[in-house]
Amino acid sequence: MMKSLNPSDLAGTSDCLCRIEPGELAPLPPPYDDFNQATIPPLKPEKIKNIEASLDDTVAIGIPKPASKEEEEELIRRFLAGLQKLFEKENNWTFLQPLMLSMEHCAKCQTCSNACPVYEMSGHKDIYRPNFRAEVLRRIYRKYVKPGGKLTARFTGDINLNWTVIARLAELAYRCTLCRRCATVCPIGVDNGLITHEIRKLFSQEMGIAPKEIHDKGTVQHLKVGSTTGMTPPAAKDSMAFIQEEMEEITGYKVEVPWDVEGADILLLHNAGEMLAWPENVGAFAIIFQAAGISWTMSSEAMGYDAVNYGLWYDDVQFSRVAVRHADIARRLKVKKILIGECGHAHKALTVIADRLLTGELNIPRESALVTLEEIVLKGKIRFDPGRNNFPVTLHDPCNVVRAMGIVEPQRRILRKIAPQFREMTPHGVDNYCCGGGSGFAIMSGYNFADWRALVSSRKKFLQILQAFKDEPREAPKYVCAPCSNCKGAIRDIFAYYHAEERSSLYYGGLVELIVNAMADMKKPIIRFGDKPSWTATA
Amino acid sequence: MGFYLLSYLCFAVFVVAAGCRIYRQLSLPVHVRWEIYPVQHEPAAKAAYGGSYMEELNWWEKRRERSLLTELGYMVPEILLIRGLWKENRNLWWVSFPFHFGLYLMIGVFGLLLLGAGLTLWGSAIYTEGSGLRTLLDGLILVMGWGGLILGTVGSLGLLYRRLANPEFRNYATPADYFNLLFILLFFLSALVAGLSNNPSLEGAKAYMLGLLSGGHSPAPYLPGRSIPGAVAIVSASLLGAYIPLTHMSHMFMKYFLYHEVKWDDTPNRPGGRIEAAVRKNLDLKPTWGARHVGADGRKTWGDIASSSPEEEKK
Repeated sequence: MMKSLNPSDLAGTSDCLCRIEPGELAPLPPPYDDFNQATIPPLKPEKIKNIEASLDDTVAIGIPKPASKEEEEELIRRFLAGLQKLFEKENNWTFLQPLMLSMEHCAKCQTCSNACPVYEMSGHKDIYRPNFRAEVLRRIYRKYVKPGGKLTARFTGDINLNWTVIARLAELAYRCTLCRRCATVCPIGVDNGLITHEIRKLFSQEMGIAPKEIHDKGTVQHLKVGSTTGMTPPAAKDSMAFIQEEMEEITGYKVEVPWDVEGADILLLHNAGEMLAWPENVGAFAIIFQAAGISWTMSSEAMGYDAVNYGLWYDDVQFSRVAVRHADIARRLKVKKILIGECGHAHKALTVIADRLLTGELNIPRESALVTLEEIVLKGKIRFDPGRNNFPVTLHDPCNVVRAMGIVEPQRRILRKIAPQFREMTPHGVDNYCCGGGSGFAIMSGYNFADWRALVSSRKKFLQILQAFKDEPREAPKYVCAPCSNCKGAIRDIFAYYHAEERSSLYYGGLVELIVNAMADMKKPIIRFGDKPSWTATA
Repeated sequence: MGFYLLSYLCFAVFVVAAGCRIYRQLSLPVHVRWEIYPVQHEPAAKAAYGGSYMEELNWWEKRRERSLLTELGYMVPEILLIRGLWKENRNLWWVSFPFHFGLYLMIGVFGLLLLGAGLTLWGSAIYTEGSGLRTLLDGLILVMGWGGLILGTVGSLGLLYRRLANPEFRNYATPADYFNLLFILLFFLSALVAGLSNNPSLEGAKAYMLGLLSGGHSPAPYLPGRSIPGAVAIVSASLLGAYIPLTHMSHMFMKYFLYHEVKWDDTPNRPGGRIEAAVRKNLDLKPTWGARHVGADGRKTWGDIASSSPEEEKK
């Protein structure tokens, strides 16, 4: 058992500040108790000899170590310059007020720690407390940026600044999923999740340091090629043509996807990852909209078929660029509104955060697809046979849709109508737990980060899912409805890691698949459990 | 007179420091939305489960409904009873609540003393010896004063103990945190001892307030030198008043901004509205971020950069 750590220990010389030992992770119930002694597989020394890897058992970014004393000093200088810029309106008008308030008013009551699934599931490791990294930043700011800070540091909280502290802080900013559960429980209103977000920004916007999955392969590729998947416009159209054929083959329903229809009521933006990983989700949207007689279109323009905005997690500049492009595509198509498909972070990015970025003609109304789907399902635009979804269903609440936007009930009203065995997780709604893949984690898998995610950050969600179905027979297929691409990715990975399909017959998918599955006019089910069609799986 | 001067000075520091803090907040640029649900000014039915106006189809075509009643129904118990801590961190609530409620009662007593002194000095006919109002005010001062002193002392000691005994708190505690708690404890304890020793009806506090309002010229001004605990109480209370707005303890009033300007700030950007004008102003700001992909040179605005592509990064 390691000793407890305080924020100034981040400057310590240990080659691994925090290690999860066998048996320290929060226990899983049978038949998953064989994972209770699991630890994160060690990284090969040759793989990490030139990068900063002394924080914990994993690496998210892989920051190269400075080659000389001069280089180290230059990196420290740039870090402090970036820290200063976080508190300047020219550089950080976007979050200046929220940041200042959260930096200045924490009472260190640790209420946030109790709410954090990463801290809880890790076996209560100090470095994962929401307040740990926030307090490190507060101490550095007070000592090295505020006037007279070096004189008062012993009184207000000291910390030594060196390259190790900086690099560990960068890594530590990627051990929080930005679910902001900590912020909801803070009695004062301090948001330590926001401070994590700002640390990520400092590193990206000033020092060019960010995980390659969300920067190089993420926003940079998105802006350059048109999609974070690397899909070009012709490839996107090809994918959709394939999906149309697949839908007809799977469900017997012939569907046409409208492209670039000027003046359509709705521009539907999907996470392009859906087209590759979960084509049935994109196809199901098309079936529902066609069956309901909705005037809609997709855009074949670069970025117009990929709703993601990874900038939300780490970089305001990249965020702004992506949001402006999305809005501009809608403006040129002259649509009445933009509809965000089942992608949680895209919901928050374009609907809420970009709201105070888009002006004039770019300020086109944006709406969650869940709201539109509720209108379709509950207003009788399509006939349903809920008996077709007669299997246990639970709902995962994507943090960005629920806690960050207050869209809680539309998806539930739909499920209550079309899924007779729907049951809630505990807790749910705005009190939900993150899937563990939030803030980019679902797409980050360099080094051994995917193991850390499955064992630590996604563990709470897995426990919640098991709890929701605890009274169901093991062999009965069970469906986790996750109306968010990143969440689905995380849940897919949890199920694979813990062999949950084999051991508990757990399956996952989106909301639209359940809607289509219950449509009375469908000839065949869209949902299958393994090789069994869902309509017969529970018969 | 020295005590009065100290109190005046500390009061002035309080006003200036609190004013500066508030002014700073009011003068900051409009930030992007970062609300978190539940937002308590939503109508009761939505606030109950954390729903928002964005659950409505074409919400931008509808009139926004807000409920002050729901907001107050949440904020009053949150502020007075520290409800959030009761729900999320019960162990801490048992010491945090008496500490905070003790302070609230002291602020309440300060207000009542001020009212009583004002009525005495400016000769209100309804505030004579034995009048109903005077009896009521005296009674309230007595109950709230003693209640506040006892709760505050217990709470301060409890918080101090927890910070010392529990590694979860101790690891994060700085000398400033201990100083703050000891400072507040000093006030509560000295006032408690002063009251217990020779001032059970808190007449000393009333006389001191009278002296404060009259610049020391009231008929029976309180002489703090008569009692060391009384003097310590007056000095520590005055200094605390000046000190609190300089520290994180200003969350007492800054919580308004944390909630209303961030956590619950869900105001949408309507075309042609106040927020749009503020955003346009922000987009004219010129960032200087140093990473190559940003492409900031101190001349390009946020608007320019947002509508450009990232600069190619040299590997």
